[in-house]
Amino acid sequence: MDFATTPLAAMAGSAGLQTYVVIMLALVAVMTIMDVIHKKSAKYFFEDSKKAEAKVKAGIAAGSKNCSVGFEDGRYREVSGGEKMGAAVGVVLNEVAVSGEFDSTKPLRRFVHILTMYGTILLSAATIIIAFSGTGETVSLAWNLGALMLFVGSWWFWFVYKVDVMSEGNSWTDIDLRRDMFSLSLMAVSTTALGWSIWGGAVWEILAMLAGISLFGGVYWSKFAHMFFKPFAAYDKRIKKLSGALDNLPHETRFDKSGAVVAQQRDRHSMELLKDAPMNMGLGIKREGPNHY
Amino acid sequence: MPTFVYMTRCDGCGYCVDICPSDIMHIDKKYRRAYNIEPSMCWECYSCVKACPHHAIDARGYADFAPLGHSVRTIRDEEAGTIAWRVTFRDGRVKNFLSPITTVPWGTGIPDFRNEPEPTEAERNSQLLSFEPKYIRMDDGDIATLKSQNLEMKEGVYY
Amino acid sequence: MGIKTIVEDNIDILVAGAGLGGTGTAYEARHWGRDKKIVIAEKANINRSGAVAQGLYAINCYMGTRWGENNPEDHVRYARIDLMGMVREDLLFDMARHVDSAVHKFEEWGLPLMRNEKTGAYQREGRWQIMIHGESYKPIVAEAATKNADKTYNRVMITHLLMDESGRNRVGGAIGFNVRTGNCHVFKSKTVVVGAGGASNIYKPRSVGEGAGRVWYAPWSSGSAYALMINAGAKMTQMENRIVLARFKDGYGPVGAYFLHLKTYTQNAYGEEYESKHFPALQKMVGKEYLDMEASHRTHRPIPTCLRNHAIIQEVAAGRGPIHMVTMHAFQDPHLEEVGWENFLGMTVGQAVLWAATDLDPKYQNPELTTSEPYVMGSHATGCGAWCSGPADVSPPEYQWGYNRMMSIEGLFGAGDAVGGTPHAFSSGSFTEGRISGKSACQYIDDGKAEGIVVSDSQIEKRKAEIFKPLETYQVGRNEIVAGTVSPSYLLPHPGLQRLQKIMDEYCGGVTVNYMTNDKLLNIGLQKLKIMEEDLEKVGAEDTHQLMRAWELKHRHRTSECVMQHTLFRKETRWPGYYYRGDAMKLDDKNWHCLTVSRRDPETGEYTLEKAPLYHLVGDMEDKALADMKKSEKKPAKKAAKAK
Repeated sequence: MDFATTPLAAMAGSAGLQTYVVIMLALVAVMTIMDVIHKKSAKYFFEDSKKAEAKVKAGIAAGSKNCSVGFEDGRYREVSGGEKMGAAVGVVLNEVAVSGEFDSTKPLRRFVHILTMYGTILLSAATIIIAFSGTGETVSLAWNLGALMLFVGSWWFWFVYKVDVMSEGNSWTDIDLRRDMFSLSLMAVSTTALGWSIWGGAVWEILAMLAGISLFGGVYWSKFAHMFFKPFAAYDKRIKKLSGALDNLPHETRFDKSGAVVAQQRDRHSMELLKDAPMNMGLGIKREGPNHY
Repeated sequence: MPTFVYMTRCDGCGYCVDICPSDIMHIDKKYRRAYNIEPSMCWECYSCVKACPHHAIDARGYADFAPLGHSVRTIRDEEAGTIAWRVTFRDGRVKNFLSPITTVPWGTGIPDFRNEPEPTEAERNSQLLSFEPKYIRMDDGDIATLKSQNLEMKEGVYY
Repeated sequence: MGIKTIVEDNIDILVAGAGLGGTGTAYEARHWGRDKKIVIAEKANINRSGAVAQGLYAINCYMGTRWGENNPEDHVRYARIDLMGMVREDLLFDMARHVDSAVHKFEEWGLPLMRNEKTGAYQREGRWQIMIHGESYKPIVAEAATKNADKTYNRVMITHLLMDESGRNRVGGAIGFNVRTGNCHVFKSKTVVVGAGGASNIYKPRSVGEGAGRVWYAPWSSGSAYALMINAGAKMTQMENRIVLARFKDGYGPVGAYFLHLKTYTQNAYGEEYESKHFPALQKMVGKEYLDMEASHRTHRPIPTCLRNHAIIQEVAAGRGPIHMVTMHAFQDPHLEEVGWENFLGMTVGQAVLWAATDLDPKYQNPELTTSEPYVMGSHATGCGAWCSGPADVSPPEYQWGYNRMMSIEGLFGAGDAVGGTPHAFSSGSFTEGRISGKSACQYIDDGKAEGIVVSDSQIEKRKAEIFKPLETYQVGRNEIVAGTVSPSYLLPHPGLQRLQKIMDEYCGGVTVNYMTNDKLLNIGLQKLKIMEEDLEKVGAEDTHQLMRAWELKHRHRTSECVMQHTLFRKETRWPGYYYRGDAMKLDDKNWHCLTVSRRDPETGEYTLEKAPLYHLVGDMEDKALADMKKSEKKPAKKAAKAK
């Protein structure tokens, strides 16, 4: 396999490839918009963030007035413009760039996701560049590398990290074509792209094109559209943390973020037994991964 | 209040699937996130809620008797050794709680008997269990018997 | 079908079900059997399984001998009167003399036990209960078990015991399946300790939809503790003794801490005390031996749980419901308010959710109480379970055959709900029973009693085919219909469960008939259960999760059948408030001051029932005081009769 060339080179800048790319991009855009309209997901996000804002305002006004057990003072606060900007940057750097939303106890799972994501991005971007501004060594390298990353990521995912395989003990051979179309398409795209790149030929070419159609054409029926909301959701979560809305989660802790003991809490009657206890108890049942079957 | 899962918080990590005593937290095959497949077999035990690293699971009171608009949420912090609760009423009133869940670092103090001295033959033939008689009364007192308690077992009606 | 079979061989002690009982066994057995192979099979994840999965806010069985609080015989006396006399006092005494050592260990392991600031003793909720922050009760005891077991199989549901085929009535292991992978699991073992759970959801619940999950006892308690043993032909006792709980309405939040620690009390809808009104008539039903207000005042003898239920049932039937728990006084104290809420958050979160949902703050409003649908279990105020041997130094000959807590099948032991006649064990007592069984199982093996066990491949194959049949039934039958859950050739587990609940409710004294039944109803009910058994051969399961539900249903069905048989056998109303025999509305000590023992013949499915003698622990001071009091009472009573 030669990383410096791609099988697309022959078609670089061709009307055929350009048309294919435009159709694929259009499919993604149209289907995502259809999904958003159909599910009213954008509306949900908008309303949810408004609700949280109202809650914070009411919380600041009420103080501890509505709280008969425990404390509410200082729970809520207004989030400044600068903080909002910081949250947005944080989302881009963490959640978007390095899949930061994944549970930290499974670093490999996150790695597989990153591989798949950047593989897809590299492969798609390189294809677009080849279609519209021609090929070159760097672009070819990106195309091949993207295909390889996606190949490793998507297959690894299928055998190990597909969540029902990982968590429920299902066999990887259990396939539900409609539900698994997105994952299977990713595997097909990368596999056919690599096959085409290594062996060439019309058969691989046709397979690769078809795989692309199944991937982008299936957006409406897959969870693909949802990923555009992930950054918004991540941003929302950060704002709720800053404002204290916290989706109604408790804010009581034994010690604050700096590790200092919260006197108010320590002196609660219920906490008497921990007065002289160690500050770090280590991990209990979370010591073990979630694979008890 | 069967449990439900927030779409935006769940990442499909599987901790709830792993812990649910009723085997009702499962993965939705399309979205690859967890959900409650059988709400009428949900005890609202909060095992999954406590296990979720993203606080993605919540509970909504059972539809046949609980009105909407409330929330009971929790954070179980193993390292701090505490569990915090926040109860929000339908009308917005709030109650906050914090309690210990362990008093010593996890797992310490639990013996692995393979590393302890073996019991004697006399202990085997006695009524004693491990760490007895000491741990019954935490002094030198012995295990209770019919004789020590001045009792007898009699057939019939005694009241 | 290519179902993988995983065989675990040469096991010494198999723990079938690891709740509080099973964890006690795995822990203790390692002490007495350092080289023994101890294996746990648990239907869920051991860290959160069994009745204590959610946590507990109290340990309801602790003597406190260390602080001079109670002796084991005090506990026996308490459980005896609470169960209207029908208990195995040898087993109760035995559990009670050990239970404190378990609790003291729990504290060492990190379980937060509250202390009384003044005395330094554990904070008492009532005479028997101590208060804990028990959110992590189960994770803590689970670690004690897994640390000492050789292997823990999670998500493996045991469906059957395997029997020795060498000609002795002896156990040889167990078989089941993994509810996730669908693999078949065979455990060949010298002894089996059944730590599985009692039965929720066998009676039609008061809730109609989602709320059916908010049962008092955990919905995953599927009666396996009983079905495993009944199907193997073990003798069962006191299976008629189902329990009905007076609890906060709908949420079934516990009332113990409210009554005992918060000093709340009940009243009818019109703010009146109602219990005493019903006691004179009730006393005529059960006799003064069991309901004697003066004796209760003088000796702190409790009014039996069932009789207090009876008063609620009667008061509501008289049109003066609902019954309220008066919380408004206690909750004015901020500390008690916090305790009241933490009590729910610690063990019945659903009740806190319900109050939040309905804007009910017990500080300003008295919540309603109700009596629940019946449950079948053996560790709360009820003693269903297997007929087990008692300890050699306490038990009379009829109660003793060699190994403590061994059932009528050799090598088969039990703990918690599985052991009959031992109510009021609760969490700590169940753990203690597990420990006792763990030691006994080791002794049984060391004495060479487990040699030469034969479990043939054909027995395993037969069971395996039976276990996985619902999957096949569904797959084949599914072709008959377009879609949906309605099929003429198979029954899905959920509608099957609803049929069982309806039968039990209407024919065996459920809520819709005000807990009433009679011989005629029971005979019809038994016929319906028999037909249902035929239909259970056609239960279908779409996946391994439903396969688990299918087997839970079969276990619940078998448990129900045994309950029905026992209820028919005991021709009296022993526990008014739990259930009533309309054809024998009185307690009958002359004929029924005995334990009921049944055996189902595994070959024919026929039940034989017999009476077993009731032995009482007598002789200490408190008994004498009570006897003296009664003597002095009898004389004027006789005079009054003569005067008439």
